[in-house]
Amino acid sequence: MDGRTFFRAFRDRGGKSGVSELVRLTDVTKVYQGGITGALNGVSVSVEKGEFTAIMGPSGSGKSTLLNMVAGLDRPTSGGVAVGGTDLGKLGEAGLARFRRDHIGFVFQFFYLLPNLTALENVLIPAQLKGNAATGRARALLERLGIKDVEDKYPARMSGGQQQRVAIARALINNPTLLLADEPTGALDTHTGEQVMELLGQVHRDGQTILLVTHDAKLATRHAARVISVMDGKIVDDARLESPERAPSDVIRVRGEEVSR
Amino acid sequence: MKAVLLKAIRDLRRRRLQAAVVFVTTLLAVGTGTIALTLIAQTSDPYQTAFEAQKGAHLVVDFDGRVDPGTLAGTPALIGASAFAGPYRATDMQFQSGGHKYTVTAIARDNPGGDVGQLRITGGRWPSSGTEIALTRSFVDLNHVVIGDKLKVLSVPQAPVLTVVGLVVDIDELRADVGGQQHAWVIESAFAPLTTKNSTFYQMDYRFASDPTSPQMQTYLDKLRASLPPDSITSSISYIFARTVFHISTQILIGVLVAFSVFALAATAAIVANLVTGIVISAYREIGIMKAVGFTPAQVIGVFVLQILVPTAAACVIGIPAAMVLSQPLLASNSQALGLAYQATYSPGLGLLALAGALVIVTVAAVIPAFRAGRLRPAIVIANASAPRGQSGRWIRTLASLARLPRPVVLGLGDAAARPVRAILTVLAVVLGVATVIVALGETRTFNEIYSYEGHVGKVDVVVAKTPAFADADATQLIDLQPETTRVVAQANTNITAHGIADPINTLTFRGDSGALGYLLTSGRWFSGPGEVVANGGFVHDAHLNLGDTFTGTVNGAALKLRIVGVVYDFTAGPGGHIMMLDWSTVAPAVPDLSPSSYMVTLKPGSNVGAYVKRLAAAQPDLLDVQAASTGNTAFLSVIAAVLLGIAGLIALIAVAGIFNTLLLTTRERVRDTATLKTLGMSPRQVIGMVAASAGFLALLGGLVAVPAGVELYRLLFDQLSALGGNVTPPVFYDVYATWELIAIPVAGVVVAIAAAMIPARWAARTNVVEVLHSE
Repeated sequence: MDGRTFFRAFRDRGGKSGVSELVRLTDVTKVYQGGITGALNGVSVSVEKGEFTAIMGPSGSGKSTLLNMVAGLDRPTSGGVAVGGTDLGKLGEAGLARFRRDHIGFVFQFFYLLPNLTALENVLIPAQLKGNAATGRARALLERLGIKDVEDKYPARMSGGQQQRVAIARALINNPTLLLADEPTGALDTHTGEQVMELLGQVHRDGQTILLVTHDAKLATRHAARVISVMDGKIVDDARLESPERAPSDVIRVRGEEVSR
Repeated sequence: MKAVLLKAIRDLRRRRLQAAVVFVTTLLAVGTGTIALTLIAQTSDPYQTAFEAQKGAHLVVDFDGRVDPGTLAGTPALIGASAFAGPYRATDMQFQSGGHKYTVTAIARDNPGGDVGQLRITGGRWPSSGTEIALTRSFVDLNHVVIGDKLKVLSVPQAPVLTVVGLVVDIDELRADVGGQQHAWVIESAFAPLTTKNSTFYQMDYRFASDPTSPQMQTYLDKLRASLPPDSITSSISYIFARTVFHISTQILIGVLVAFSVFALAATAAIVANLVTGIVISAYREIGIMKAVGFTPAQVIGVFVLQILVPTAAACVIGIPAAMVLSQPLLASNSQALGLAYQATYSPGLGLLALAGALVIVTVAAVIPAFRAGRLRPAIVIANASAPRGQSGRWIRTLASLARLPRPVVLGLGDAAARPVRAILTVLAVVLGVATVIVALGETRTFNEIYSYEGHVGKVDVVVAKTPAFADADATQLIDLQPETTRVVAQANTNITAHGIADPINTLTFRGDSGALGYLLTSGRWFSGPGEVVANGGFVHDAHLNLGDTFTGTVNGAALKLRIVGVVYDFTAGPGGHIMMLDWSTVAPAVPDLSPSSYMVTLKPGSNVGAYVKRLAAAQPDLLDVQAASTGNTAFLSVIAAVLLGIAGLIALIAVAGIFNTLLLTTRERVRDTATLKTLGMSPRQVIGMVAASAGFLALLGGLVAVPAGVELYRLLFDQLSALGGNVTPPVFYDVYATWELIAIPVAGVVVAIAAAMIPARWAARTNVVEVLHSE
């Protein structure tokens, strides 16, 4: 089984076929106490199943807040967030935890591996929280991600790239409906970052819906099919790169103009 | 210095909960310690004050009634007494009051004054007519008799009735609540009707120019004995013995408080060390920044130590005065027992000593882990938010995984051992807490066990006390006539003198199957025939005898050849006291009118003890005192038991604070991990389960160590208690815990620890993932 087939097999086990709306944010506003930094201001957007969408914007633009809303880690001040038809606003804390466990895979900028667990144990955690024994699958994932040799190592003894791969394996272990990645290359060198993005691209090609937050326009345009630009809590651009009228360079240019404003 | 102070105070504000933990644990520990210190350093000894004020007798001697009073009047000069009182005529008098029968020593005395042994009237007045009597305050307090009560005298056939008109304090007698037979006073003209043939004896009070030592007292008694006919001295009490008995409850209390204070301070030191270790571990980056801006290593240490010393000092400022106030009732009880007005005394020096002690212990506990902060290199720690965690918890996680425990539980167990030093310090606090509870529970039960043992509970159902006026044959016949009676052991109290022992030895002479009374022997066997005796360890030691040795005892002027066949476990003789037990056939030939004072009756299984007691008492209401066998626990032991359990509870609380503190540190240190786990789908309930598992595991570990440690410590303390009476503890007394209790105590510890974990657990469960991860 090659890598593509492997990930597809994962994807198909729990996923649904066909193109349909997976994520919908309706007029979402988020106001933090003490200011508007990082707030969202009436954002409405949807993401379809199977898409690789990048959310782009400078620091404090609200892109991570948007991602947190979709993951059910944060609640909007107003507006609604639905994922796979589930209105997250109607779920309590325990419900949101179950939702994340069953439907979301999360990859962080700083990996956030549990330091006192080995690579394999880290990957297994989400499955074990669900009550599943998935050691075989975890090992297979580590192998496919090229980090089989670190399965017994603790995070402190791994390189950044290895840690992020472990984090991706952990995000995929429960076969999530949606993979969220918040600046996954932000703590890596360029070469390793590129490798990680290639890996995410491979996962996407196998059918995984991915929502990526980044401030790196080149990275976004090279791997994502759709780039949503956020500025001051508002969506200022939403480009589908496969459409003939919006070339990647065009998005980069738009992004550059926003930054210089 | 200003920067250190500023940083410490700011940090303290940030760590209010941890400061509260230090405050509470120190408050409890310093409070217990201060009470112990206050009792030890009692500024004035009320006994000594009363002894001087009342011109107490250094030596009180009872003489046989056949001794010529004129001869006795010459004895003070014989032994060089500077003052004396007596000879007073005295007799053992049994009376009935409020349905209960009591025996006191009635003394003929026309006034309470005199050169020696003045009596202080604390209520009512001195008797002025032949129908009036004065009792000791100690006796009335214990037996709830009040002025005006009518006492029906049962020890003489005429059964006169006396009215209680006065309460007095006699500094020369033993406290009623520790078992001494109390004195009572009537005027000279009222004495004769209270006596029967040969029941009168004489009492002399001797006082010396300076306080004699025990050997000197022994010499005086030897001189008296040598100058008088054999068996003239029937008993004696020295001021040293009376003082020891008076202070016995305070002495036991002090011992308990000192031991438990050490426990409490050790637990507090463990918690403080744990706390500072935790703060240092979680503040790596901050330490680096402090050093980068110019804090010296000593200043960094100072910041951490100050954070601990501020709540410690606050706890001392509140705890030490509060403890001094709380000790006053304990101090006052001794004065009140003597009828002295108590003036609260406070010693600033003692308060300062307690303050200095607490600060030194806490400082040492804080400085050692704070050194780690001083040694850290800025460049390294700035790069790390906190100290790297080891993999110490892996083996536990592996085991838990093999046991197929839920993942949150597995993670929690691993967390508990992730910081070994923290885990050890926490377990230490738990061990101290649980062990203290076990010791306190054990000792409390031991007191009851001893009283049950001395009262023959379980072996004897009913104890019948007979007045001398009732014939032994009649009493025996009456008891035997009751259909429920299966076994009767009669007991007479006689005094036998032995070479090398100053006072006549209280000797229990048994008739019947005395082996069935259940006396425990620490060595040898129970007597089985004439001439054989068992004695307590104190007697065997003081008479320089060994098992199997023979010696000569004298009773009624007749020599008895006696052989030690067993050493009995006994507390009734008191500290340094002597007791012997032997068969009727040994004494009867020398004492023709030997008559039992009591009968220990065992009933047929299933008999109604209450009905039996009622029926027998009704048969001879004046001449027999019939009581169901009971423990007869005394008030002062109840106080000690209450103090024991109270302090054990406090130390257990300190242990709970230790668990709470550790979980607080762990959950705060692991906040990012918890946030990550929540992102991965860990539900709030699972987070709580994870933290609770940590708490439960540490408590279980502590409990498993504490149970055997506590039991062993209990045995050690009990052995000390036994040694007071010259005893070696029989193994059966060690079994005061049921197996289920030794399981339930650590289980209860786990439950309490999990309950204490709920605050940090809920805090962890409510962790705002976004805020935590954003702040990283």
